[in-house]
Amino acid sequence: MLPIVSITLFLPLLGALLVMALRRAPAPAVHAIGIGTSALTLLGAISMWSRGVNETGFTQLEQIDWMPAIGAAYRVGVDGISLPLVLLTAILFFLTFIYSAKVHERPHAYVVLMLLLETAAIGTFTALDAILFYVFFEVSLVSMYFMIAGWGHEDRQRAALMFFIYTLLGSLPLLLAILGLYLGSDPHSFDMRLWIDNPPLSGTAAMLALVAMLLTFAVKIPVFPFHTWLPAAHVQAPAAGSVILAGVMLKFGTYGLVRFALQMTPDAFREAGIVILTFGVVAAIYGAFAALAQSDLKRLVAYTSVNHMGYIVIGVAIAALALDPAVRATALDGSVLQMISHGLVTGALFFLVGMIQDRSHTRDVNQFGGLLKTVPVLGWSFVLAAFASLGLPGLAHFPAEFQIFLATLRVEPLAVIAILGIVITAGLYLQAISKVFLGEPQKQWAGMSDLNAREVLTMAPLLILIIVVGVAPSWILNVIHTTTAVLQF
Amino acid sequence: MNLIAIAILAPFSAMLLILLLRRMPAALALTGATVGLFASISLLTNAFNAVSSEILLPGLPDMPLRLVATPLTALLSTLVAVISTLVLVYAVGYMKNDSEKVRFFATMLLFVSAMQTLVLAGDWVLLLAAWELIGLSSYLLIGFWYRRPGVRSAATRAFLYTRSADLGLYIAAFVLIASAGSSDIATTLNTSGNAAVVAGLLLLVAAMGKSAQTPLHDWLQRAMAGPTPVSALLHSATLVAAGAILLIRTAPLLPEETLLIIGIVGGITTVVTGLIALGERDLKRMLAASTSSQYGLMLIAVGAGVPLAALLHLVAHAAIKSSLFLGAGVFQHSRESTALAELEGAGRDRPRIFVGFALAALALAGIPPLSGFFSKDAIIAASLASPDATVLASFALAGTLLTGAYMARALRILWHGNGQNKRPEGLGWMGTGVAVLVTLAVVLGATFPDIETGLQASLPENTLAQVLGLGFAVSGLALGWFIPARRLLGPVLPWTRQGFAIAGGFDTWMVRPALAIARHCEQLERGLYNGVLAVGRYGIDIGRAVRLSDERGIDGLIFSLVRATVELGNRARTLQSGLIHREMAITVVGTALIFVTLLIGLTVY
Repeated sequence: MLPIVSITLFLPLLGALLVMALRRAPAPAVHAIGIGTSALTLLGAISMWSRGVNETGFTQLEQIDWMPAIGAAYRVGVDGISLPLVLLTAILFFLTFIYSAKVHERPHAYVVLMLLLETAAIGTFTALDAILFYVFFEVSLVSMYFMIAGWGHEDRQRAALMFFIYTLLGSLPLLLAILGLYLGSDPHSFDMRLWIDNPPLSGTAAMLALVAMLLTFAVKIPVFPFHTWLPAAHVQAPAAGSVILAGVMLKFGTYGLVRFALQMTPDAFREAGIVILTFGVVAAIYGAFAALAQSDLKRLVAYTSVNHMGYIVIGVAIAALALDPAVRATALDGSVLQMISHGLVTGALFFLVGMIQDRSHTRDVNQFGGLLKTVPVLGWSFVLAAFASLGLPGLAHFPAEFQIFLATLRVEPLAVIAILGIVITAGLYLQAISKVFLGEPQKQWAGMSDLNAREVLTMAPLLILIIVVGVAPSWILNVIHTTTAVLQF
Repeated sequence: MNLIAIAILAPFSAMLLILLLRRMPAALALTGATVGLFASISLLTNAFNAVSSEILLPGLPDMPLRLVATPLTALLSTLVAVISTLVLVYAVGYMKNDSEKVRFFATMLLFVSAMQTLVLAGDWVLLLAAWELIGLSSYLLIGFWYRRPGVRSAATRAFLYTRSADLGLYIAAFVLIASAGSSDIATTLNTSGNAAVVAGLLLLVAAMGKSAQTPLHDWLQRAMAGPTPVSALLHSATLVAAGAILLIRTAPLLPEETLLIIGIVGGITTVVTGLIALGERDLKRMLAASTSSQYGLMLIAVGAGVPLAALLHLVAHAAIKSSLFLGAGVFQHSRESTALAELEGAGRDRPRIFVGFALAALALAGIPPLSGFFSKDAIIAASLASPDATVLASFALAGTLLTGAYMARALRILWHGNGQNKRPEGLGWMGTGVAVLVTLAVVLGATFPDIETGLQASLPENTLAQVLGLGFAVSGLALGWFIPARRLLGPVLPWTRQGFAIAGGFDTWMVRPALAIARHCEQLERGLYNGVLAVGRYGIDIGRAVRLSDERGIDGLIFSLVRATVELGNRARTLQSGLIHREMAITVVGTALIFVTLLIGLTVY
């Protein structure tokens, strides 16, 4: 049987090597390699999807000994939590390469970095060895740092510095926790499956490890008050960078929250459940209010990410606190689906904001008006994505948020207050739509051109997926539910 | 194919076709609506002959989506189909000169299919989904002329009001699913105890938002910014009706305490918005206020424990109110305004439309043998029979009196006076729509006994109610016709003109605090951001100081190996020349090296 997971994982890296080898290739050829490689990777992810998952935990395992002396090995595989994320990653990268085909500034380095980032992202979601996970986790940060510093907007140096401070400090505690888990395991091993089946730490040690992991993932998700890097990084990052940052990289945090914090230190997580839940609720509401105050479209979308990711934290905390396995599965189903929905919807929004900025060189909502008449395709796409983001039924976020809130009410009814977020996001998106797209068209933007073929190719799959996930989420939920229904922790 | 599916999918596929073909929107819309109408009527006949049907669809894990055709849901589905088809007929004429017919008809059909889903939904997830989708459709339709001043704020306001209240439905659904362990509506209706009280109150909140009940009534009047067929549909069988429909469908769940509160909310609304209607200076806004008032009457009936009376009034009101709006639309086209001052005498020049308008007005006031008489009579009888008869019946009678008064006032203004008319285009289509709807408004009362049989429920009979109802209706009409509204309202007039907004209403109580919180969050954001930057800079300064002290103080003692390292560091620093592409290349090479090492490691072991 073909090692599909490893092939999918290393295809982008091969593409990157190919681009490095072809240093003199013209820009279109380089972009073609990027698009082609990511298309093949997407095919790989789809064939992983077609192989599916089962109730026994991780499947599609591929394993090679690496450093047996310390119990580290190359181990990859997926379950119902990681498989949808791999598919999401492959889709978003493929579309990002299509969108980026216009980049003429140092295209070689750009494509290489993006491909490297894709391998890192897929690796983070498929790694079943803690060392391997950490390596991929770190490599992604470096790539993103250079994306922002190299192709960002006006104030990119400061944003990159901010990003770097956070990520540097942020990932160290995780390393400590990994070492702690390693030392606690008997026999010593970095195999994440062993840590999940038999959590190696207990008592204070487990709590310390949990706190360390929470620090890392709180920065990554991000959770208030560790989120300050996010708006800064998003505003300065190029559109493609923002899409990957929000669509894929924030999921490292929530994925880690489930995979590491919840599954490897379950008792400590349950003990700290209320605290984590509180952080989630505060993040959800705070993110919504902070977004309401923004007049910069990109910052606005960035803050709504804090809100949506807050719901995921709530869902995971509720899963830990729930005693009834059915409720626990509902909460986790909702949380994992929310990761996918957020990737699709926020990805779409960042692309659209990028397209607006490409045309007008501004992101200030007050500068616009009546764009729906001037650029109808762009306008209606934005309306659709915005309504998806505010949780309208029939679009991607609704089934996820519905399950999270339903489980929350059954476990900690007070925390349902976070549902206020859906009204506030409705308010801020309607305000933005009203200012940018409704009203009398302004002369200044009369000549603005609507989406071109490349942009339509980028947007159409995302918008279709947003509707498909909203109307018929069962094809994803079945995969997720296969794992969450039997999860023991 | 299942009839339920056709009822929903016929308008929906017509919408998709319109969007794809971008031509013949009116013809496609009428076809889709008519096919849906036939499906709904067959559903109704089947259901009344005790043949119920159901569709199960995959939804969330353990929560399948469910569509059911029971006598009640099939009746509502037919109502929606009839009214929407007729409104679409009218719209063919009304929108004749509009350049964006494709968008208009597509959105109308979306609205219709969402509403059909809402009435036929058999589980909470689907109901909630349809509930929000009609919110979206009405947002798009109210904002249809989005370039005109005032339109965008009206659309935004409508969506935000209803969405805020929708939280009630969300949480009610969670409470019911959690306590019943199933998302099937029929199963959850057996809930009792505290859960039922809480869920009932939350459902009331949701219904208040959609049905524009006091204090959430303000958005509905502003929603007049949309095209007239939209208002006709919105007020009669779709958006606003959803609130009352929700309470009628969940009536078996509602415990005593909740019922009384529902009745009181309905009672207050019927009086407050009745007064607003009486003081209104614009015909369409007057009709909008009247809608809230009539839904208030329906809530009284639900509160009195006779949801059937509410249902009958919902049916009668749907035909009546759409007739009134469509009539008003004709007057609007001939005077290019809806201000009552501009419409003086508009009815005299369009006598046939005026007759239709007047019949509908009398039906709404409750004059026999028009449909409104029977339904209003049922509500008054229900309120008299309830344990809280004094409260509910006085509200119901006050509402009846006010209805007569504002309708008579409108009729008088339309009949007296003179003005310049122009002949609107598309009058044929518009006239047809109005004529059929008015006929329905007149004769629907005759079908009420059949509905009672079909639903296997009966109404309390009360001669006193008939006498009182007729008496109050006639006195209301007389008051409205003979005495100017200014005199009738007296000191209350300024209040009605502000829509009884309590100390600024929604804006003061919701919008401003939200924006203030948002501003505080933004300030905190800046503080945090600067704080982090300061920490970062501080860290770099420390690093620099340490390096300097190392180089100066310890340098001499360090072995050559260390010196080499420092040199290497210096070299690395010169490499970090700020030339991004160079740093990039280094990183890329570095990362590639890491991977190569990994790969070598793999092959070795």
